[in-house]
Amino acid sequence: MRRFCIGLFVLFAVPVWAGTPDIKGIVEGHILPRYQAFAEASQALDQAAQADCAPQSDTLRAAYGAAFDAWMGVSHLRFGPSEQGDRAFALVFWPDSRGKTPKALAGLMQRQDPVVAEAATFRTVSIAARGFFALDYLLFDPQFVEAPQAAYRCQLIQAVARDIAGTADAIWQDWDAGYGDRMSHPGNETYRTETEAARQIFTALITGLEFTSDARLGRPLGSFDRPRPRRAEAWRSGRSLRNVVLSLEATRDLADRLSGGDAAMLAGFDRALAQAARLEDPVFAGVVDPQERLRIEALKQRIDDLRAQLALELGPQLGLEAGFNSLDGD
Amino acid sequence: MTDRRGFLAGLLATGVAPRAGWAEAGQPVVLAAGMRPDGVYVLCGLGRDGGLRFTVPLPARGHAAAAHPERAEAVAFARRPGRFALILDCVSGAERARLQAPAGRHFYGHGAFSGDGRILVTTENDYEGARGVLGFWDVTRGYRRMGEVGSGGVGPHEIRLMPDGQSLVVANGGIETHLETGRAKLNLGEMRPNLSYVDLDGMMLEQVALAPDLHQNSIRHLAVARDGTVAFAMQWQGDIYDSPPLVGMHQRGSAARLIGTEADGADMQGYGGSVAVLADGAQVAVTSPKGGVARVYGASGRLEARVALADVCGVAALRHGSEGFWLTTGDGLVTDMGASWQMRHPMRWDNHLVAL
Repeated sequence: MRRFCIGLFVLFAVPVWAGTPDIKGIVEGHILPRYQAFAEASQALDQAAQADCAPQSDTLRAAYGAAFDAWMGVSHLRFGPSEQGDRAFALVFWPDSRGKTPKALAGLMQRQDPVVAEAATFRTVSIAARGFFALDYLLFDPQFVEAPQAAYRCQLIQAVARDIAGTADAIWQDWDAGYGDRMSHPGNETYRTETEAARQIFTALITGLEFTSDARLGRPLGSFDRPRPRRAEAWRSGRSLRNVVLSLEATRDLADRLSGGDAAMLAGFDRALAQAARLEDPVFAGVVDPQERLRIEALKQRIDDLRAQLALELGPQLGLEAGFNSLDGD
Repeated sequence: MTDRRGFLAGLLATGVAPRAGWAEAGQPVVLAAGMRPDGVYVLCGLGRDGGLRFTVPLPARGHAAAAHPERAEAVAFARRPGRFALILDCVSGAERARLQAPAGRHFYGHGAFSGDGRILVTTENDYEGARGVLGFWDVTRGYRRMGEVGSGGVGPHEIRLMPDGQSLVVANGGIETHLETGRAKLNLGEMRPNLSYVDLDGMMLEQVALAPDLHQNSIRHLAVARDGTVAFAMQWQGDIYDSPPLVGMHQRGSAARLIGTEADGADMQGYGGSVAVLADGAQVAVTSPKGGVARVYGASGRLEARVALADVCGVAALRHGSEGFWLTTGDGLVTDMGASWQMRHPMRWDNHLVAL
């Protein structure tokens, strides 16, 4: 009991209001432009798919890559509009270790399901058959690229692209039409106080790094005895490492704004980015090779350290304490 | 000859002595454990306006509470794997009794009174035998231990009284732990969680398990509607990115069903922290402090509301009235699901909110 109390006093002694983050600046300089860019890139993807739906089409694949890139710019901003009606899950149903996405897509193909005809009806299909990972299969996996049902596949690709554009636009509209304002000017039902808004952004930053470490790197790494290269994110389109880099860049920009340009923190991001650049292993195939594996593990460790540094230093600077209940776990 | 003193002592012994009711404790509508800014752990009663009605200090971090149906008396359970529970007088703040877990047992943080308030049942771990136990305590005899029965599984967590006042439903979470290894999970590969119904004699009435591929979905928290429908919240112990839905419904004599979609488990980070159901069963609310979210489902399983709230965990449906659900958070907020009102206390509210 005594030991416990001492620990808690330390916890409460930490918050020193070193600085209030510029929430409005973050919303207008980081969140809104990124979600707008994502909506535009998704629109372009939809147009490319309607113009040419062949899986091998260079323009379609390029538009797919550009839209996915834009998503990586916001994939850490998982709150508010992106979480309404499971929109973000409809954009990225991943990880998917049970293979629900290929099963759902194969089912649609086999049935020649007419659900693809209308945007509204397509939104009723399994969430696993929607979004970027559905396209990753449809554009890059031989099971679908070489499937004989070319006409239906075309409609399906077009439906998925149109659906991505619709979802991206809905998220952007909500941010633009009110959510951004409510976050910039707390004292409303969504954000009661500045601290709540700061906490949301800080949580997004930490969670974004956590996802990159645990899922984007941790899943292909698996264990030493059982590496899982096929669990790398979007390996079919060769995007696994690229996604890690883009997400690190996006979270670096957020950390920069949230910390008021804390040099030590940014140096941590830069070291992680430099390490990622040296990997030259786009789909983490090296997880099966003891030497290569070490380098991927080192990148993961670097990100974990960064996350710990942010939680220990930036959180308290913002007056944010670790969750009382979220850490209890019972 | 029975003199007045002897007569009163006799009454006290049988537990029928007139003791203060909840009105005298300020008519609280919910109980919640928490931690004050000075680091002191407390059990509090909150009134209909969300304000404090009473505060009683605890010797260590609490978890949930059980409220006596009539007397202003609450049982504050130590956080798992605690070995004590306090019987508190919510008017005077005095400690009425202290339950000590018997040798080889520790509490799981939850308990429930019988409908007549004469028996308290606690969830406990027989950690050498790796089995769950329900401890029965005689309220009328100063909370003397009457005995125990197996809980029907491993790792029993929440227990609730059924509307008949004569039977209880217990969530056997399926996770084996040992006092010496704290909260370390010892059997994730072989978990077999279930819902078990027992009567006040300790007889097993019914058990229901989930489908085999959901055996790592630890059933932890419970709420019961007036018609006996049990809502349960789960915590997924498998791959967090594979989390199935974390809320289920069960009616005795039928199969359990999960509600929600594939995305829900991920939204809640695989972790349901607490659950509540409206008396008429029309809505179920579940919280996830890890996901910073509370979700409300209609009886059919349709998502009706999603509220993002940092470190939210406590949730309750008030026993009387139709205000819907109340929520509490680790940074002091008490509010309703629609955020039509709120009150912030200098308090870190702990996991559970118990409706009186």
